[in-house]
Amino acid sequence: MTEVLSTHGLVARYGDFQALYDVDVEVHEGEAVALIGANGAGKSTFLRAILGLLPVKPEMVHLDGKPIGGTPTDRMVQKGVAIVPEGRRLFTGMSVSDNLRVAIDQTSRLGRKGGWTLKRLYQLFPILEEKAKTPVQSLSGGQQQMVSIGRALLCQPRLLLCDEISLGLAPRVIREIYTALPEIRAHGTSIVVVEQDVGLAKSASDRLYCMLEGRVTLTGRSEEITREQIGEAYFGGGHAVV
Amino acid sequence: MTSISTTVDQATPPVVNVRRQTLSGVIALSLFALIIVALATMAWWAKTGTIRMVLELCCYIVAAQMWNMLAGYAGLVSVGQQAFIGVTGYAVFVLAQTFGVNPFLAIPLALVVPAIVAIPCYLLLHRLDGPYFAIGTWVVAEVFRLVASNLGWVNAGAGMSLGVMRDYSGFERNVAMSILCALMILVAIGGSYWFLRSRYGLALIAMRDNPVAASSQGVNVRRLRFMIYVAAAVGCGFAGAVYFMAQLRINPPSAFDPMWSNVAIFIVMIGGIGTIEGVVIGALIYFVADRFFGEYGASYFVVLGVMTVLVALYARTGIWGMISKYWDAPWFPIRRHLMVEKEDRS
Repeated sequence: MTEVLSTHGLVARYGDFQALYDVDVEVHEGEAVALIGANGAGKSTFLRAILGLLPVKPEMVHLDGKPIGGTPTDRMVQKGVAIVPEGRRLFTGMSVSDNLRVAIDQTSRLGRKGGWTLKRLYQLFPILEEKAKTPVQSLSGGQQQMVSIGRALLCQPRLLLCDEISLGLAPRVIREIYTALPEIRAHGTSIVVVEQDVGLAKSASDRLYCMLEGRVTLTGRSEEITREQIGEAYFGGGHAVV
Repeated sequence: MTSISTTVDQATPPVVNVRRQTLSGVIALSLFALIIVALATMAWWAKTGTIRMVLELCCYIVAAQMWNMLAGYAGLVSVGQQAFIGVTGYAVFVLAQTFGVNPFLAIPLALVVPAIVAIPCYLLLHRLDGPYFAIGTWVVAEVFRLVASNLGWVNAGAGMSLGVMRDYSGFERNVAMSILCALMILVAIGGSYWFLRSRYGLALIAMRDNPVAASSQGVNVRRLRFMIYVAAAVGCGFAGAVYFMAQLRINPPSAFDPMWSNVAIFIVMIGGIGTIEGVVIGALIYFVADRFFGEYGASYFVVLGVMTVLVALYARTGIWGMISKYWDAPWFPIRRHLMVEKEDRS
C-alpha cells in the first residue's frame, strides 16, 4: 500500500514547552489509523503540527513521500488534507448549506476535484439536507458534527483528520457518525481518528498508535493489540511494539 | 491506486439554485441607487453648507466601513487608520499645490500612495496579534504624524493650504464635492457589498466566524487579510483626500487625528459590527449626535465612549443586530440559500 502521510522524528513546541518528541507515524492509502492517549498526550498537537498550525521543519512531515512540514493550512487543504477539528468550529453565523459552501467554493477555486458532492453528502447524512437552511447554532451536537465532517469531505480530502469527533455526543449519535467512516474510506480516503475512547478507536481503525506525554508508546494492528498492552502504554510503562 | 480522483467517478455537481436577493434587498438597492444620484447632483439642489455636512457624513461612513471590513471581517482591529487618511490628504496637497497637478486629478493619483504605504506597514504589523496589532497600528500613525511635523517639504508642523482651489468657482467646487461624495459611497458601500457577494465573500464571513476553521477549509486567511488591509488603507485614503480637499487646509494634528479611528469604532460598534447596514445606521446616529450634542465638548465624548462600552458588553451585534433578530429583512443580503433540486436527490 502506498504511503500517504508519514512523520519522521516530528517535534513540536508551544513556546518553551515541548509537546511532541520524535513522533513517527505512517498512514497508508485507504487506511484508518487511530491515535489514542490521555488528555495532554499530544494527539491534537500532532494534528496541528501536520496542518501547519504549529511551526515544524519540512522534513518532519511527508505527504506522498515529499517533505511538506510547516506548509500553511490552506495549502494543506489544496494538497488533499482536511480536518474535522475538535469542538467542531463551525461558522456560527451561517446556515448549514453556507457552511458547506465555503468548502465547495474554496475547492473549486483551488481546482481540486473529487467524488464528494452535496448529493452524496446528503445521502451519507440525510438530516443535513432537511436542515440545509437552518442556522448551525440551532442544530444538535451530533448534527453539528455531521456538518463539520461534511465540510471537511467537500474539501475532497485524500486524508481526513478527525479530532475527537465523539466528544460530548450521545452513544447512539457516536455510532451513527462512526458508521459513516467505512463509507468515507470506500471513497479511497485515508483517515486518522484521534480518540479518547479506546474501544471505539480499536473498532474503527486498522492500526493504532498510543501516545503518552508527547511520545508514541505503542503501535500495531488494532485487532492484535490487547487491552492490557494499551493500558500499559496509555498510562506509562515501557515502550512496546506489537 | 494512485490518487482519489482515479478511484472515484467524477460525479456531476448537483443542480442547485442559489437565491440571495430579497424584497428588502431590492428596495434597499433601489434606494441606494437613488441616494447615489442625489449625492452626485447635490450641487444643483443643495446649499454649500449642506454639501459640506453631507460630505463629512460620507467621509465618516467610508472610514467606518473600512474599519468594519478590517475588524468585523478580517479580525484586524486597527486604531491607526488615520495614518492612511493623513498620508493621502497630504498626497493631494503635495500633488496639487507643490507639483501643480489638477486637484481633482490629484485625488485618484493620490490613492496610489496609501496602497503603496500599506504594504510595508502590513509586513511590519501582521506578525502582531489582537491588542498588540491595535497598538502597533496606532504607533505607525503616530510615526507618520511626527514625520509630517518635521518634514520641510510638507511645511512641517505649520501644515499646507490648498490655494489652487481659488482657480475654481464655488459652484464648480460644489459639483466636484458632490460627485466625489457619490463616488466615495459607491466605492466603499457598493464595493464592500460586491466583495461580500463575490466568491471571496463567503470565505470572508467564514474567516469572521472562525479564522482557523476557515483556513482548514482552504481559505487563504493570510492573503485575504493582506488584501483587506490594503483595500481599507485606500478606502480611508479616499475619505481623507476628499475631506481635506473640502477643508482646504491640512496640518499634522488634524491629518493624523486618532479621532478618525475613534469615530469609526463608535459607528461600527453602535450600528452593528460585521454588517454594512450597521455602518449606515451608526454613521447617521453619530452624525445626528454630533450636531446636537457636539457643543458639550468633552462630556459629549464621555457619553459616546460609555455608549460604545455598553454596546460592546451587552449588545455585541449593535443596533442592526437587535433589529435583524426580530425582523429578517436585510438591506444588503449576502446570505445564500442553496437548494438542491428535488429530482436530483434520487
